[in-house]
Amino acid sequence: MKRVHDAISWGSRLLTLLRRGRRARDIDDEIAFHLAMRQAEHERAGLPPEIARRTAARQFGNVTALKEQTRDMWTFPSFESLVRDLRYALRTLRRAPAFTLVAVLVLAIGIGATTAMFSLVDTMLVRGLPYPKADRLVVLIGNVQRAAGVERRGNSYPDHVDWRARATSFDDMAAYTTLNTTLQGSDEPEPIPSEAVSAPYFSLLGVSPTHGRVFRPEEDAVPNRDAVTILGDGLWRRRFGADPSIVGRTIQLGTRAYTVVGIMPAGFTGVSDTAQLWIPFAISGTPLDNRGSRGFQTLARLKAGATIADARAELDTISRQLAAAYPQTNDKRGVEVSPLADYVLQQLRPIVVALMAAVSLVLLIACANVAGLLIGRADARQREIAVRTALGAGPGRLLRQLITENCLLAMLGAFTGMAIAQISLPSLVAASPIAFPTFVRPQLSLTVLAFGIAIALVSGVLLGIAPMMHTRLPRLGDALKTSSRGGSSGLRSQRFRSVLVIVEVALAVVLLAGAGLMIRSIQKLAAIDPGFEAANVLMVNATIPRQTTLPATPGGPAAPPAPFVTSHTDLLERLRAVPGVEAASLASDLPFGGASAVFYSAEGDATVAAETMPRAYVHRVTPEFFATLRIRLEAGRTFLPAEEKPDSPAVIVSHNVTRRFWPHQDPIGKRIKLGAPGSQNPWMTIVGVVDEVKYRGLPENPTGDPDLYLPYIDRAAQGVVVRTRVEPSSLASAVRAAIRDGNASILTFNASTLADVVAQQSSASRFTSWLLTVFAATALVLSVVGLYGIMSYLVAQRTREFGIRLALGASRAEIVRRVLRDGTWRVAIGAAIGLAATTGLARLLAGLVYGVGTFDISSLLAVATLVVVAIAACGIPAVRATRVDPAIALRSE
Amino acid sequence: MLDKQTGCSIIPKSFMGAQETRELLPGTLDMLILKVLSRGEMHGYGIVSAIQRASDDVLGVVEGALYPALHRLEVRGWVRSKWGASDNNRRAKFYRLSALGRRALEEEAAYWDRVASAVTRVMQRA
Repeated sequence: MKRVHDAISWGSRLLTLLRRGRRARDIDDEIAFHLAMRQAEHERAGLPPEIARRTAARQFGNVTALKEQTRDMWTFPSFESLVRDLRYALRTLRRAPAFTLVAVLVLAIGIGATTAMFSLVDTMLVRGLPYPKADRLVVLIGNVQRAAGVERRGNSYPDHVDWRARATSFDDMAAYTTLNTTLQGSDEPEPIPSEAVSAPYFSLLGVSPTHGRVFRPEEDAVPNRDAVTILGDGLWRRRFGADPSIVGRTIQLGTRAYTVVGIMPAGFTGVSDTAQLWIPFAISGTPLDNRGSRGFQTLARLKAGATIADARAELDTISRQLAAAYPQTNDKRGVEVSPLADYVLQQLRPIVVALMAAVSLVLLIACANVAGLLIGRADARQREIAVRTALGAGPGRLLRQLITENCLLAMLGAFTGMAIAQISLPSLVAASPIAFPTFVRPQLSLTVLAFGIAIALVSGVLLGIAPMMHTRLPRLGDALKTSSRGGSSGLRSQRFRSVLVIVEVALAVVLLAGAGLMIRSIQKLAAIDPGFEAANVLMVNATIPRQTTLPATPGGPAAPPAPFVTSHTDLLERLRAVPGVEAASLASDLPFGGASAVFYSAEGDATVAAETMPRAYVHRVTPEFFATLRIRLEAGRTFLPAEEKPDSPAVIVSHNVTRRFWPHQDPIGKRIKLGAPGSQNPWMTIVGVVDEVKYRGLPENPTGDPDLYLPYIDRAAQGVVVRTRVEPSSLASAVRAAIRDGNASILTFNASTLADVVAQQSSASRFTSWLLTVFAATALVLSVVGLYGIMSYLVAQRTREFGIRLALGASRAEIVRRVLRDGTWRVAIGAAIGLAATTGLARLLAGLVYGVGTFDISSLLAVATLVVVAIAACGIPAVRATRVDPAIALRSE
Repeated sequence: MLDKQTGCSIIPKSFMGAQETRELLPGTLDMLILKVLSRGEMHGYGIVSAIQRASDDVLGVVEGALYPALHRLEVRGWVRSKWGASDNNRRAKFYRLSALGRRALEEEAAYWDRVASAVTRVMQRA
């Protein structure tokens, strides 16, 4: 009831605020009516009009004052006084410029950092993906039930077609995969990050081309028929001068001419977020008729009313039907339905959430800090407050004044902070070692602005209440008397100050410990032995074309392959001749470059269950590959040059293969083959065993499957690995030149050092740790400054007491001990609480740290650091206390 | 002279304009207004006249004080208002009781009865 009341009354007041003029006129009219009626009555009683009018007015009272009072009933009584309060607050802050500057800066750090982080949260987690109704978009990823758990795989085209035909919970589905295309036509062919997509892809995402059209359904139904392509806006501007007439003309991609049919709008880079060019899915090289060949993903839009759970249930049913119909390829196969936003942002979310939590702690410390400053000021202003109380200001009025002042302070801080965030955030995102999606362009949106202002107001109110809590409002006269004596503000204020110190220390400990955990985690990551030596290794991707290109007949069989323009042995010769190169080798795929798994079988092993069917990653490598990367050969030998042919029976396996099948036997000479035991593939003989290496991911390979190495054969896509005697990046251009050997049709790209690629693997950890360290350092500085301020203040207040003690013979050392003890117990309690709270932050970081528990030696180190610094901060005021001349101290008050 | 809270004071007729005032109990004016309005729609002037008439001019409400009180009641949602024509065909603002106001009046009246009878008992026995 009461609430309804309030709502009505506030509502009508608010309306009044908007329509003040009308309300005032209404009140005038109403009162005029009253006066007229009364005057008429007097006139009827026989009074002359003028006297009747004056009598009526007298009876009514003070017309102007009453009108005003009536109007006030409708307005917020505080509205007009708010302006007064603000003006007063401005004057007060201007009178204490040092205090204002420090407080505004501290708040700017806290609010600025929080707002900056929030704008990341806003763009990534709140606003989400830049597609219409993006929450209805899902990604379907084929998975497989293995003994180790469910593993993500990919989709095969026949499965995709069946899902699309049978599932009813979707508007439509589109297959998509990423690839590099080679754009010819300038001096050097350029690799273009591209996507091969089926026709519904663009309409699912809700984008339409700025020129031309999207793909037609028939263009992805027949393999190799329609060589059409769609250009991204960036590529179109960069390479084709933004010429709209390119639509309808052909461009050369790799060895084939493609007709440009459309241009995508600026900013659209596909689901992969990197694509600058699109080709029909049917032309991507993905086998369209092999149900067992899985690799791509399916984008789908949920039908209106269908939930993710519906879609999952339906696809589960379809998967079971497919498994029954095609047990060879679909046994234990399922489909993961993942919202697109989860799929895109999955890895970034926990980082952003952890950092948001950390930055909120910085804000809390900043507030505690400014609260400490304000308490000092509140004491200094005791007298002013007393005077205002004496002049009739009520406690509510005073509180309002204080809150106004602090909100103003917080607002100044907020706007300074937001300005700093605004300037620094884009460069922060750009410099970030983790790749943010391109749509994450943090900017000052209304939401972020509102958030900044909201936290400023909350901080302001909290800051206003803080000093009020500790100074009981002085009774009239009391304060006037005590303040002239400069008395201490009493036990209550001391206790409040202690709480502030404890809170600041506790928060700083949490942040330091969090940063400590991340740093330890990075140390552990760096200490991982990947099984190879990453230093001094340069890697380059190369694409070697074939000598002549025979035109492919649409829909017809592929032409017999022509030889490559250079053989891999010639290529290796040229690489070894580059000065500074110690060893050179080639691989079908480079470390962390992505490889696909195949099933294999060991002779004599009868495993048939899909969950435990042996699976491995296959790489074709030249004989020096292991020496170049310094991968240890456990047994046997590397390949012989004679073995470098497609049907060679030699294979080198990694340790886990022998551990699984021949744990106590000599593996050399044992035989394995690719595919199921019954497959027609030839047996291969193990000639060597190498250590397990982290070929596919750090800190761990995504799955525990071993690696199989086969002899190298000439191929189009080559991974070049070079061990150098000098800084590897300095050889990049020489190595690229050696690969190309003057042949413009050879493409080299992605030259990078292995050390950089390894570092990239832990970039998320390093980014988080770097930011957390910045936050923790800020927290440390803020809390130590706050502690110093509060301890100085406490010491200053006790100057008189110390004077007396010294006069009575206390030693200076005793005074120092006393002050230090005072500071130390507060720091100790804060540190203990912080340490306990550390587990909370550690849980947030759990997904981001490697090899570190929630409690680590680094937490203790963090506490130790803080305690030492904090006690030092107490030490300075302590020493100052001993410099007190007893006589002066006693007189000083 | 005016109590800000009640916006009302008791002024014996004979002392009109004199400085001696006695405060009406807080909230009393509100109750009187609600009571008068419980009989039907009325404008401000009518409410004052009704109170004066019904109290045999003992309760001399300072007339202007009625308006802040009326508007306070309106903000609170206890009375509603609309503009209409008076008996002599002038534009006047008419007030009527809302459901909320009616309930409030019952509560106020019950409370007043209890207090008044208690005060009376004390005055007679002590």
